Amino acid sequence: MSTNPRDMPKREGAFEREPARRIFASELRECRYQFKDGEDEKSPTFVLLPTGERSNRVFLVGTLTEKTRQGEQNIFYRGRVVDPTGTFFVMAGSYQPEAMQQLARIEPPQFVAVIGKPNLYQKPDGAFMNSVRVESITVVDKETRDLWVLDAAKQTLDRIDAYTDSTSPDVIKAKEQYPNIDPAVFRRIAYDALAQIKM
Amino acid sequence: MDYSEAAERISRKFSKSGQAVDLKKIEGKLRRLVDEFGVQPQEAERSVTNELNKEFNIPTAGSGGSAGKSGGGTEQKKIADGVPGDWVTIEGKVVALSAPVSPSIAQNGIIADESGAIRFVAWAKSNAPAMAEGSWYRIESAVVDEFKGIPNLKIHSGTTVKEISEDRSLIPAPVPVKDLHPGIAGVRAKVIQEWDATHDRMLQSGLLGDESGTVKFVIWKEPGKEKLTVGAVYTIFYAQVDEFNGRLSLNLTTATVMKEDGDIPVSGGEAAVRGSIVHIAPGSGIIKRCPVEGCNRALSRQNYCPIHEIQPGFVYDLRIKGWLDDGEKTHNILLQRDAVESLTGITLDAAKEIAENNPLGMDEVFLRMRDAVLGRYIVCKGREIDGRLLVNTCERVKFDSGEHAALLNRAGGAS
Repeated sequence: MSTNPRDMPKREGAFEREPARRIFASELRECRYQFKDGEDEKSPTFVLLPTGERSNRVFLVGTLTEKTRQGEQNIFYRGRVVDPTGTFFVMAGSYQPEAMQQLARIEPPQFVAVIGKPNLYQKPDGAFMNSVRVESITVVDKETRDLWVLDAAKQTLDRIDAYTDSTSPDVIKAKEQYPNIDPAVFRRIAYDALAQIKM
Repeated sequence: MDYSEAAERISRKFSKSGQAVDLKKIEGKLRRLVDEFGVQPQEAERSVTNELNKEFNIPTAGSGGSAGKSGGGTEQKKIADGVPGDWVTIEGKVVALSAPVSPSIAQNGIIADESGAIRFVAWAKSNAPAMAEGSWYRIESAVVDEFKGIPNLKIHSGTTVKEISEDRSLIPAPVPVKDLHPGIAGVRAKVIQEWDATHDRMLQSGLLGDESGTVKFVIWKEPGKEKLTVGAVYTIFYAQVDEFNGRLSLNLTTATVMKEDGDIPVSGGEAAVRGSIVHIAPGSGIIKRCPVEGCNRALSRQNYCPIHEIQPGFVYDLRIKGWLDDGEKTHNILLQRDAVESLTGITLDAAKEIAENNPLGMDEVFLRMRDAVLGRYIVCKGREIDGRLLVNTCERVKFDSGEHAALLNRAGGAS
């Protein structure tokens, strides 16, 4: 008799929060494909990473190097957060009042931890632009930054290792969408990022 | 009215015997019976079950059984082999009797043999002789059916009950906690926690655990029942395993409980999660709790308790509700006062001071704690209950140069 509830599938409707992926700036920059999972207006939006993973949320730690306030009626803040591989563009507008106030208070340069949603835009000239809409941003110390670099490197390597033989639909889609990107380049990038941490 | 629970129950019954049924269809049938035809919900459930039984050619309980074993010629079985729908003859020892909950029930309790135990009900209409705890009986032509997902032996007017002269001692084997399923079972486990009673009739409730896992237990007030001691190990026989909302619970009211010397490891249930804190939920920080004995609910800002209304004599407490994210999965975490103090470095006294002397009051504590922990890497250890990790201990992750070196090798090695 298999009536043990622990053997049974999760009850329907149980809320699963989307995990925050660890992605280096240089990988997020390459994203060109964004999709919705489901028909619903509220269905989550994902960007597809070249290493074959979908991401609805990211967690990143880097140095906030500059921030600017923009807009008259609808104020919003833009910032640049730098990791060992490149730059994340982050923004917080009046739809994220908490995040905007947090960002407004931080004076660069500072190490910051950012939780947010990646977004893909196409500029009028056809160039793609990836930015992160901030859900929350806090000042952290260097140790947290170093821990994040380890974490991002590990998860990037995990994705690369899974990529080769995987038959997951996201990997297949990634191979289709990014025919010119060999995920092996991100292995080199991870190595360089790790090497920048001083022992 | 919600039929999903009943539909769920029915589908589980059939999935056990390998049949797939359509939940939506069952729900629809139940709804039609109850809403359109005014059938009692229990009756509707029964009739849908029977309909499906017919569809799948499964002999039904109470309809005389299948041709081969109808009438008085029921097979003698071991208790553990009786499945719902069977007419059976068994020999067993009455190991527990409990107070009937309805006048139409003469006796109920638990009867056991070497193979296992089953709950029984003797209907008042059956005119069965009263059975005594500790004696052996031969019960002919009783029916095994199911009540709330638990097999149940029904002694009805067609059943013969005879006392037999047997005096074997039964030594049931305890099962690991994680292998428990609804019915009657025994465990050897340690009392890990004692919880506040949520009902007047409840003597004690809490958490039992062994190496394999943990399970909630409850003891209802009945003469002669004693509380268990937290931290002690018990061997428990003939406890009733109930299922409610997909979770198991051990009812020890009718069980035989023996205290043991010594200790057993309780590793199950303690999970460790490493990740970063990606969200601190409202209701974190310093909170007020209801001072009424045994209540302890969190009060609203206006000191309002959902049960005891306005409570100006509240007590302060600290907690953090949030999400811990390892990059693959996000875990809902709940930190209690000790863990909050050690993680944030803000003690309850310091938090009170801030809350009472700052223009933002309690919000200021929330903001300071948020700034102190959000985005940080921590390891939390605790028990996962209902999808939420109740954290016992947590600490910050330290930079590990060994891990750094290993990752450098891994990244550099294959290029």
